[in-house]
Formats: sequence, C-alpha cells, structure tokens
Amino acid sequence: MAFKTLSKSEKAYIQSSLQASSSFRSDGRALQDYRTVALETGVVPLANGSARINIGKGSDEGGGTEILAAAKLEVEDVEHGDGVEGGRVSCSVSCSPSAYPFASSGTLDDLQHDYTSLVHSALSHPSLRPANLSILRGKKSWLLSLDLVVLSDCGNVYDALFMAARAAMWDTKVPRTRSVEYRASKNRTGGGTGDMEVDDEQQSGLDTRQVKAATDFELEDYWDEGEPLAGRETWPVCITLNLLPRLHFLDATSSEEAAIPHRLLLAYSFASRSTPTLQGMQLLGPGEVDLVHIKALIQEGEKYASDLYTSLNTKLKDEDIRRTDKARLRFAAVR
Amino acid sequence: MDVDPFDDLGSETFRLTCPGETLTSSQAFMRGHGTYVDNEEVVASVAGIIERVNKLVTVRALRTRYNPEVGDLVIGRITEVQPRRWKVDANSRQDAVLMLSSVNLPGGVQRRKLESDELQMRNFFEEGDLLVAEVQAFFSDGAMSLHTRSLKYGKLRNGQLVTVPPILVRRLKSHFYSLPSGVDLILGLNGYIWVSKHVKDSEQEGEEGFDAEAVYSNQNDDIDAATRTAISRVTNIIRILATHSVPLTDVVLLEAYEWAIEQEVDVKDLLQEDVSDALVAAVTARS
Repeated sequence: MAFKTLSKSEKAYIQSSLQASSSFRSDGRALQDYRTVALETGVVPLANGSARINIGKGSDEGGGTEILAAAKLEVEDVEHGDGVEGGRVSCSVSCSPSAYPFASSGTLDDLQHDYTSLVHSALSHPSLRPANLSILRGKKSWLLSLDLVVLSDCGNVYDALFMAARAAMWDTKVPRTRSVEYRASKNRTGGGTGDMEVDDEQQSGLDTRQVKAATDFELEDYWDEGEPLAGRETWPVCITLNLLPRLHFLDATSSEEAAIPHRLLLAYSFASRSTPTLQGMQLLGPGEVDLVHIKALIQEGEKYASDLYTSLNTKLKDEDIRRTDKARLRFAAVR
Repeated sequence: MDVDPFDDLGSETFRLTCPGETLTSSQAFMRGHGTYVDNEEVVASVAGIIERVNKLVTVRALRTRYNPEVGDLVIGRITEVQPRRWKVDANSRQDAVLMLSSVNLPGGVQRRKLESDELQMRNFFEEGDLLVAEVQAFFSDGAMSLHTRSLKYGKLRNGQLVTVPPILVRRLKSHFYSLPSGVDLILGLNGYIWVSKHVKDSEQEGEEGFDAEAVYSNQNDDIDAATRTAISRVTNIIRILATHSVPLTDVVLLEAYEWAIEQEVDVKDLLQEDVSDALVAAVTARS
C-alpha cells in the first residue's frame, strides 16, 4: 500500500539503521516510540459524536497523519426496513485525494475499500454492539453510522483510524427516547344520560408511559444530548507492528512503511482491564511469517495495545472534562 | 506630483499581503500573478510578498510549488522511464524531464550514447531513484529539462531526504555543504534536501580516490552509528526550522546544529515543542 516509492539506497539505509546493533530511526525515535498524537473530540457540530486525530504534526513533511471521524445515529425500522433488533453499527472510510496525490482514482477506491472492510469488520462485530441502540423492541432501533476521512497520510493510518473511531464512539451521545402508545378513551362509549358531564377527565389519547404495546417513540427534551453509548470502554484499539527480520517497531512513518516487507495489525478490546480480547488481526505484505514468530508478536502487541489504551483513555477523559466542566466555567466567567 | 502608493515599498523592504487585500488602483498599475482586478482595484488572491516591476504588481505566494529557473540546483525522484528520457518529480507543477543525452554515462564524459544504452536505461536510473541535477532549459509547455553533466550531479545514496517548502531555500553561492560532524548537505532549490554521509576530500569528484564506477550504484557505504545520529539530528533540525518558517542557509544550520550539541539534546527530543521553540529562538536571536 506504499504509494511512496523509495530508491534502493534509501530503503537499504532505513533497514540497516533499524537493524544496526543500536537500532536507530530516521527521526531519532526508539523502536517502540510513538510520534506526538493530538486528539480533539466534538469537532463536528451536527454529528452525535466526532473526533479529529493527528499523529506527528510538524515532525514530518505534510503535517502528520490526520483523520476525522464522525458518528451519526439514524432511526431504522426493524419490521419493514433494514433495521436489526438491537441496533447496528456501520463504518465507512474515505480517503481525501490530497492525502494520496500520486494515486489514481482506481487505487484510491481500492484503498478506501480496504480500510472500510477492516474497520467495519472489527467495529460492527456483534460482541461489541452497544446495549442502548434499541428504541422499541421489534419495531425501531438506531443505526450508528461511523464515517472516517483520511485527510493526510504520513504513515500508520490503521492505528490512527482505530483511535479516531474509538474517540468518536466515546463521544457519541444516544438521544433519550420514550415510548408512545395510542389508547382510545373508554368513557366515551357509555351513552348519554342527559346530564352534562363536564368534569370528565380530559385525558390525552397519547399515553407516554413505558408500555409493551408501544407503537412509536418520542424524543425526550433534555438539556444534554443524551446518554453516552453503552460500553464505550470496549471499543478496540489497533496496534500495527512493522516487521523486519528479528525486530519490530511501532508507528512507522510513510518512508519506513515503504521500506519494510510486512505489517501485522492487531486490534484489541479491553472489556475488562486485565483480560484484553483480540478482536481483529491482519498481516499485510507479500510472503509469509512463521507462526511461532506471530505468537510472540501477539504477546508483545498486547502489551503495547494496553499502553495505548491507557493513554487514550486518559486523553478522552481529559477531553470530556474540557468540554463539560471547563466550558461551564468559561461560560460563567463570560457572564 | 501624485503620491506613489508603493512609496513605502522600497526595494529593501518586504510587504506581506493576504487574499482579498486591496493593493492599488488598476488604473495606474497592471495586475500580475497572484492578483485580480475588482472594482478597478488590484486585489491580492494569495498570501505572500508583494513585488513590483515598473507598473506590474505581482504577489509571490508563500506556500507554492517550486518555480524553476535555468541554472537552479534541484533534487528529484524518478517517476517514470520513457524512451530516451526519464520523468522526474521535482516538486514543480509538472514532472521534469531528464534526457538520456543530458546525463553522464559511466566510462567517460565523452562517450557516445549507443542504442544499447537506450535499452538499459534502468541500469542508470530506475523508478524511485533520487538524483541531484541542474535545470537546463524549459520546454514549450513550461516543463523543465534537467541535466546531470557534471560529476557533482547524479544519483544520491548514503543518506535520507527531507522536504521543506521551496520558498525557504534561498539561492546561495553553493548548495553543497559539509557540516563538521561528518554530514553532507545538498539544498535543492525545490525544497528537497538531501542529508548524507560526508564524502572524504580525497574521494571527491576529480580527485584520485573518486570512484567513477560508483556513480550509478545503489549500494550504500558502511555508515557508523555516530554518523547516522548526526544525519538524523540534522534532518530533525531542518524539519523544525521548516515548521517555524526559518529560511535555511549554511550559517543557520550550523548554528542550530551547534546549539543542539551544546544543549546536549537527544535527537528525538528535538521534535518536542518546547525544545524546538528554544532552538528557533536561539538561532534567530544570533543571526
């Protein structure tokens, strides 16, 4: 997938630097170092949840890998429409042509399809489905469509895609709903006695209590946008291990990606902090890698993913505080 | 006598402008590149530096592709091999052309180009190869034609490339530098900069140790860890200066390198925001 072509001597230079006794990367990082990651949530006002991420801004030509993610909820009809009982998640990735100026439209389509299938298969898995995507049992449910845009690519797009997706899902608020049932008024059928019955309790035909026979729903009007998506801790993080014989490294730049033969993608979900589950795995590149080797890599990858998970969660909680408490303080100060 | 609206624009001073700013009246001046006429006024259409030649007003954009001029030293990457020519990406609007007739072939400068040379063009340059060349001429469509007819020019190896906005590379007396730490620099005017291991004086072109056979080699020499560190340090310094829009000259680069050594900054820490700000402050204060 490397659109960046390197000369043989550049490739050899990168590889021999990495394989030297004291491995050395072109920008001085150690093998397991990430570039600076910038993350902001709530960047798209009309989406239910959104995030923008940038890896390595300012340190690489082109201003780093940048991805915008936005989640939007739609109502789906379970009986007659495409809806699925309990709701569903659908993901799509599109690449901005300016991110790949040398790619033809055909290769860009292929690339988008590759990214989409990987992200969609990992995130729409039933084991990850949020519990609160259902509106009315057997009738209505939410469809969560997550759209990601690759704005620029300076390497390590897969990790960035999953981080952006996770941040957008974390940020997503599901609107509160209330079931509605139509019930005809019983008093009317009694027949007239001649007297005026003025004090008949004026009851609305629309009952808004939680009822089994609910036919429709209405949105509760409340000051915030709803409750967070259930199980937002469980969305996976992806870690890309860039493989060279006898070593692997993280967060490759685009030139490093062009110089290595294989990449191993591992997506981990942390339902409970101690036992991560492997949600997805893909090996990119020609040729094959020994199975014994892969097993060792998976163990290593789990460790890195756990570190990434911890720091990403810290950042996302910071963002929540920034957007609620601090914003309130600022608002109070202005008044 | 009427007042020249460009009086404050002496030849020495720069004036920056941004899109939409009214520059002058279109009655008295002609609009050039980077401007348009609206309501009989010349208005800037790009952000950049205002330039005036007699009655022609132009704005040179700050962020732009490389505008080649004959004699410029550029670094390019081969994108395509065609009959008797290579297409070269040189950060310009169109790919540049390097003709087979304007390269030096191994085995002497005066050697004739044979039909067999046409068939083995990939032995000289193939897709992805980096080369340093000079702008020789322009074609009628504005594409530039390059030549490597000097032993200083040719294929690049033993180092890494770093890209900066072309406007930051000034025209200098020489675009080949060697820093005292064993690092050679080639500043391409198109914003591509090649940072590589130093070539010993005795092995430079024209000297006894010069290996004419290695001109088209793809094989790197042995590079020790200290040199690799120095190359990475220089690369990171260039990136920092570029993100802070500091024009690159040999003096600036040398000072920045010395500062990094004095402060004993680790190579990867250079890219941290506070360190890079300090570096830029130190360099711009001194010069």
